[in-house]
Amino acid sequence: MSGLVPSSDAAPAALLVVPVVLPIVGAVLAPLTAPFNRVLPLVTSILAVSASGLVLLLIARRVYGPHTRVLVHYFGHWKPIGGQALGISFAADPFGLTFALMSASIGTCLLLAAFSELGRLGNRELGGFACLFQVLIAALIGAALTSDLINLFVWFQVASLASYGLSGFFLERPIALEATFKLIVMTTIAGFSVFIGAAMLYAQHGALNFGQLRGSLARGLRTADLIALGLLVTGFATKAGLVPWHGWLPDAHTPAPGSVSALFSGLMVNLGVVAVVRVCLQLFPGTATRHHMTGMLLVAGVASAFLGGILALAQDDLKRVLAWDTISQMGILIIGFATANAHSVAGSVYHMISHGVFKALLFLCAGGVVHTTGLTKMSEMGGLLRHRTSLAIGFTIGTAAIAGIPPLSGYASVGLIHEGVKDSNSVVYAAVLIAQVITVAALGRAAYLTFYRKRAQPYQELEKPRTGMRVALGLLAAACLAIGIFPRELIDTVAAPAAASLLNRDGYAHAVLSSGGTLPHLAVHFHYWLASELLTIAATVAAGLLLAAWYVRRDEPRAVTALRRLHTGLVNDYATYAAAGTAACLLILIS
Amino acid sequence: VILGNYLTSAALFCLGLYVVLTRRNIIRIVTGLSLMEASTYLLLVSMAYRKGSTAPVLLQPPGGAKGEDLARGNVADPVLQNFCLTAIVIGVAITGVFLAVVVRLAQHYRSIDTDKIRELRG
Repeated sequence: MSGLVPSSDAAPAALLVVPVVLPIVGAVLAPLTAPFNRVLPLVTSILAVSASGLVLLLIARRVYGPHTRVLVHYFGHWKPIGGQALGISFAADPFGLTFALMSASIGTCLLLAAFSELGRLGNRELGGFACLFQVLIAALIGAALTSDLINLFVWFQVASLASYGLSGFFLERPIALEATFKLIVMTTIAGFSVFIGAAMLYAQHGALNFGQLRGSLARGLRTADLIALGLLVTGFATKAGLVPWHGWLPDAHTPAPGSVSALFSGLMVNLGVVAVVRVCLQLFPGTATRHHMTGMLLVAGVASAFLGGILALAQDDLKRVLAWDTISQMGILIIGFATANAHSVAGSVYHMISHGVFKALLFLCAGGVVHTTGLTKMSEMGGLLRHRTSLAIGFTIGTAAIAGIPPLSGYASVGLIHEGVKDSNSVVYAAVLIAQVITVAALGRAAYLTFYRKRAQPYQELEKPRTGMRVALGLLAAACLAIGIFPRELIDTVAAPAAASLLNRDGYAHAVLSSGGTLPHLAVHFHYWLASELLTIAATVAAGLLLAAWYVRRDEPRAVTALRRLHTGLVNDYATYAAAGTAACLLILIS
Repeated sequence: VILGNYLTSAALFCLGLYVVLTRRNIIRIVTGLSLMEASTYLLLVSMAYRKGSTAPVLLQPPGGAKGEDLARGNVADPVLQNFCLTAIVIGVAITGVFLAVVVRLAQHYRSIDTDKIRELRG
């Protein structure tokens, strides 16, 4: 780590604000231009978000690579003096930048799909929709790049406000309102939790900058710090949809249009994961001897992976299957991060990218199916392979990617997580494998019921597929393939540096306080054609398909019915689960 | 004095949470969330206070003190008070959106009972 910063870093670092500003400008322009021409909001929003992605790529050229750098920009040039930061700063480390890049690029595809799906809306609605969509993307990028705790809270709230607008966008649909209402209650409570946690840390340490807090926390944790840790993590875990804070997630994804669900599930939920990981790995001193947070995250991750998988298998609503599966996948991501070794963390970063792409693809296909048939229940669908081949291919590619069939994206990412978890904890490894089997079964069942089985009577009428949607599906499917085909490159340039940024805590902290810096190289070896991994994947896929075939033929098992009954749809109950989870977490932390 | 503030804040928070967890009337849930929010403001302002401290910005330093003395002197932490302002703005926005949703829900369902508004479950 050198304190010296090459002057060539100054220019890209000054650009760090631009990727956030561009979508915000677009968000202002879209509703203003919409009354004149209905194409204008589409053009402005796609231009703004893709331009933001391009600027991020410019920054990425300096950040990624074997000599990983962290670029830092201080707002108003309020540089830290003597390790004391007064102003807000943005820092592009490989981890945050990966999430920012993901948000901009997947966001562009989703905007394309959204406007082709919602083409019949009026001008005003299109403008408003484009505005909210871009505000959410700006908030995600801001949250990914910020290195200030209260700034992170503000982006969290901006993302939440935009998500309320998007999920309740179709005010005439009662279930959309119901979902928004639950989303608001749960997220507001999470917001209080994060807010109090951040304020407590500030009151204790007089610092909000991640680097400065890290230095101060490393000197010792007091009870107040542990409570703050618990509040921050549980608050962000609500956004991440981890069990038991997950009540809002399946509902919020069900009534929204496909592209909005894809945005929520592929990108917004990850905001919670990114923030949890930043707090746990970069801010607080790790190791189980200091606090029990990582252990509890492992438990929450396993619980999410199981509950999400089982309830995904039990759903009849196509989009709800995918929503519950998101909970399961977030569990897997958190397991990888909480295991905290080079392989598991790099694997989780890889899986975050991979999940963003395939879940966006799956939700777009599901949205397409709902849009074409006008049906939402899988029991009423079927035979769509013949009628809507492009959607069937897209959904199958997404399912295969989740199942980890090579050469698709899931193989390398899940393989890396397996490799990391296997060595550190065999119980968790077994849990990950079983969850993987359930996931394959849930998605396989959904694909079979929707596309592959025969349908007795023909469909009344089917909506025509649209070009924009097809282009978006094609782009995402191609990304699924590309991410899977070039694992070596992706691990070396993106995942391993991101893991280095998370595991080399002091490197990031030092860089944030000293106008940038370099991170040491972290070696992550991955053997693509490892026989044991191939066998594991083959076994999970086979077991998953068997489970799906068994599940399709029989009535719902009683245990599954009991789990479904727990999710009463009553917001009071969901808030109770969340509050109980937070209380348990705090008690274990301070005990 | 400050301990009393903390206790009041905790009591308010718990009261608000209790309302959110147990009441089925949506308006009461909004009220409960507002109570929780108010308790965070009280907590933050109390955390900013130090014994015998004055306001951080003064046009006329009291008791013949000079401006330089104040810079090193005992003042309440303005940053936490600033968070409060930020949180109040965000809170107003969220309450506004929430109430708009409540109005729509009441129009559609002809009820503000959470038990009647749960088509999505399981």
